[in-house]
This record gives sequence, C-alpha cells and structure tokens, in this order.
Amino acid sequence: MKTITIARSLCALVLAAALPASALDLGKLVDQLNENPELVEAVGGVIQNTIDANRTVGPKEEATIGDGLAANLLGAAPLVRNAELQRYVNQVGQWVASRSEQPGINWRFGVIDSPNVNGFATPGGAIFITRGLYQRLRDEAELAGVLAHEISHVLARHHMRAIQAGKGREALGSALQGFISYKQSDARQLGANAISGMSEVFVRGLDKDDEHEADIRGMVLSARAGYNPYALVSVLQTLSQINPADSTVQLMFSTHPSPGERLNKIDQIVGDRLERYSDGVQATSRFYPAR
Amino acid sequence: MKLPALILAVAALAAAGNALAERGLLIRAAPLKQQPFLDAGTVAQLPASSQVDVLKRKGAWMQVKTGDGRQGWVKLLNVRTGGARGAGGGLGTLGQVLSTGSSGTTVTTGVKGLSAEQIENAKPNYGELERLKQYRVSTQSASSSARGAGLKAESVKYLPYSRGAGTQDDAQMQRRGG
Repeated sequence: MKTITIARSLCALVLAAALPASALDLGKLVDQLNENPELVEAVGGVIQNTIDANRTVGPKEEATIGDGLAANLLGAAPLVRNAELQRYVNQVGQWVASRSEQPGINWRFGVIDSPNVNGFATPGGAIFITRGLYQRLRDEAELAGVLAHEISHVLARHHMRAIQAGKGREALGSALQGFISYKQSDARQLGANAISGMSEVFVRGLDKDDEHEADIRGMVLSARAGYNPYALVSVLQTLSQINPADSTVQLMFSTHPSPGERLNKIDQIVGDRLERYSDGVQATSRFYPAR
Repeated sequence: MKLPALILAVAALAAAGNALAERGLLIRAAPLKQQPFLDAGTVAQLPASSQVDVLKRKGAWMQVKTGDGRQGWVKLLNVRTGGARGAGGGLGTLGQVLSTGSSGTTVTTGVKGLSAEQIENAKPNYGELERLKQYRVSTQSASSSARGAGLKAESVKYLPYSRGAGTQDDAQMQRRGG
C-alpha cells in the first residue's frame, strides 16, 4: 500500500506551515507526501501517529479495530449466559442488517450482562445491547428498532469517524502503525493501550447528529425488514420515563441527546412519512421474554 | 413515616411495568380518534398540553384516556411520556412521582455495570469475542426465521437528513397536527 511510505519527516511540519490551504487538511498533506516520497524521512512518534490516523482506514483494518473495541466492551461486561437468547437476538439483528446496503459485514449481536440501559456498535459489525435495555423492550419490533439504530452507526462509520476526528486519534495512529509494521490482522495484536484509547469513544459519545441520523436511518431499516418503524418511538418513550439520576442510565444519557430531543427530531424528520409501514410486525411469538 | 409506603408504591409501579403507570402529555393540539386511523371518527379535539393515560400502542398510534374519562387514539409522536425534558418534552408526571422519594432516584438494582469507569478500565476479553462469534447466524437462517415470524421485506428509501440543522421551533411542529 502506498500510504505506508507516508511522511516520516519534519518536512511534514514545514510543508504544513508553507501551505496554508493544506495546513488544516492533513489528509491532503499525506497525499502530497505520498507523491513525493523523497521528502519523507523517518521521525516517528506523535507526528507519525497523527498522520497515520488521517489516512483512509481499510475495511479489514476497520474490522480488526472493531473487534478490539468489542473485546474491550466484553471485558467490561460479558455476554449473558443464555444461548437461546443470544441466538434469537442474532436472528433478528442479522435479518435487519440483511436489509441494509452492507449485508456482507460480519454482523454479530450480543446481549451483555449489565443492568445499565445502553447499546453499543463497533466498526467491525459487533453490536451489543445490555440486559438492562433488553428487559425494558416490549416486543420484537422494539428490539429491531434498537438494533437498527446500532446497525446504522456501523453503516455510517460513525465510530471510526469519531475516533479519527480526535476521540482516540493517537491510539488509532498507533494501531494503524501496528498494521504497517507487523501486517497484523488479529485484534489481539493491536495492544491494550491502543484499544483502550480508542474505546474512549464509548465514554465520550458521538455527535448528536450521529445519534439522530442513526434513529432516522434505523427506522427506515426496521420498515425494510417488515417491522413497525414507530416501535423506536415507543422505546424512546420508555427511556424518557427513567429518572436521569438513575445510575443505570447515566452513561447512555451522557452520551446521547435526551429521549425527548430524539423524539422531537424523529417528529420533525420522519413524522408520518413512514406511516404506510406502521402496520408492520410488532409482536412475534418467537420474542424471547426477558427475565 | 410515609416513606416506606412510597417506596413500596414506587416498587409496585416499577414491577407492574409501563401499562399501569404510563402517563403522557400532548405536545400539540390533536384530534382524539375513535380508531387508530386518520379517517376514523373524532371523539374530541384535544388541546396542546392535555394529559392522558396511555392504554396501549398500535402502529403509529397510542390509545389513551383523557382526564375527563374519554377514550380514543392519538398519534404516538404527538405524545411525550414520563419525564422527557427536551423541547416540547413531557410534564414528567411519573418522573415527579418517582423523584418525591428521599434520594430523588428510582429503584435500582444497586449493581453498577458498564459505567464510564468500567469501560475505561476494561481489559479486552477475547474469549468472549469468540463466544460472540459462535452465536452468529447466517443471512439465510435469519431470512427463513424472519419469514416464520411473519416478516416481509419492504422497499423503503432512506429519508434525507441534513446534519447540523437545529431542532425546528415549536411553531413548525404545531403545523403538522393530526
């Protein structure tokens, strides 16, 4: 890959200063350096990481990084030990994902053993919802709505973008350097520090727009899969009834717009535009009851 | 001491789930319909900020009971439930009930899991990642299972969403009643 030869040089800084138009766009700078390998000279460290973090991350690298992030979340809360429940959630999630523009991603779904109410998406296609959230769902359409929201984060690469935009940027750079140096393709080789740094994205959260976009695109995915897309509205109404001071919602509420704000945006953008699909499936006999 | 009684009541509410406790607030004036369809007969015109009890949900609709005992259907999106505090959010009837307790918090299990701290201090667990892989199902399996559950694929285009556009003011939201 050409990007491997990028910018190991102080020239990078000189060039950045000399080209004000490009100074704000390290991506362009990287391109220029790729075309002029003679400018490149090893320096390494932070500059290297920053520049690496700007290059395009390939799908394989993204999947490996995603698996590292997934393993880290699983280190915080393991899967619920219930194969029947896990299989069921995979049936629903895989079906919804198969209605998306990227059915071929390595989609995996898991309920993780935490009383907290939350959901997580990782770039490699591993998606988690907590036991605490699962227990509050009334039926399969609501589950599909939640999974479709998370699937939409993966499709739009919201987490990768957030990491590249600064929330874990250095860690990403160091992970990407690893790819170059060792041709690694196993998340285990990423290194715990890089994974931990990138996992900050789950603590800091995404942009509000990312969350609204995932709500709205998720509702469309639900409708495509044959569910009542307005089930997500019901989920958000459920969430709005939880006292924000409750410890089980603190992380979710601190990383997402309030349920009321999300409902207002859905009201504004979706309104009744998906209403012809509102007689889609709501409850199913295969729904796995929460304990 | 009234407190134990309150705690019991709160616990009962929590245990009984949403059906019993759910209260809603209309964010805009809307007709109360006899059936969950737009062309169904109108029971009453409900003004904005009407309080309702939520009875059940169906499609894009919610069956409610008004303060003066009338029953009918309103659009889900016209109602905010619980303590939603966003613009045009709910009154927080239930939230208020729950926060009357000494600590102002709801009943929790007392177990903290998956907090910001836990994520920050986590070590990757690759054994669990392997386990996750084992539960994966194929698209074929998911499709046939979905058919069995009565699901039918639909063709639906994504709705345009422009990032950075702030929430519209209430005036616009009022215009789309119904």
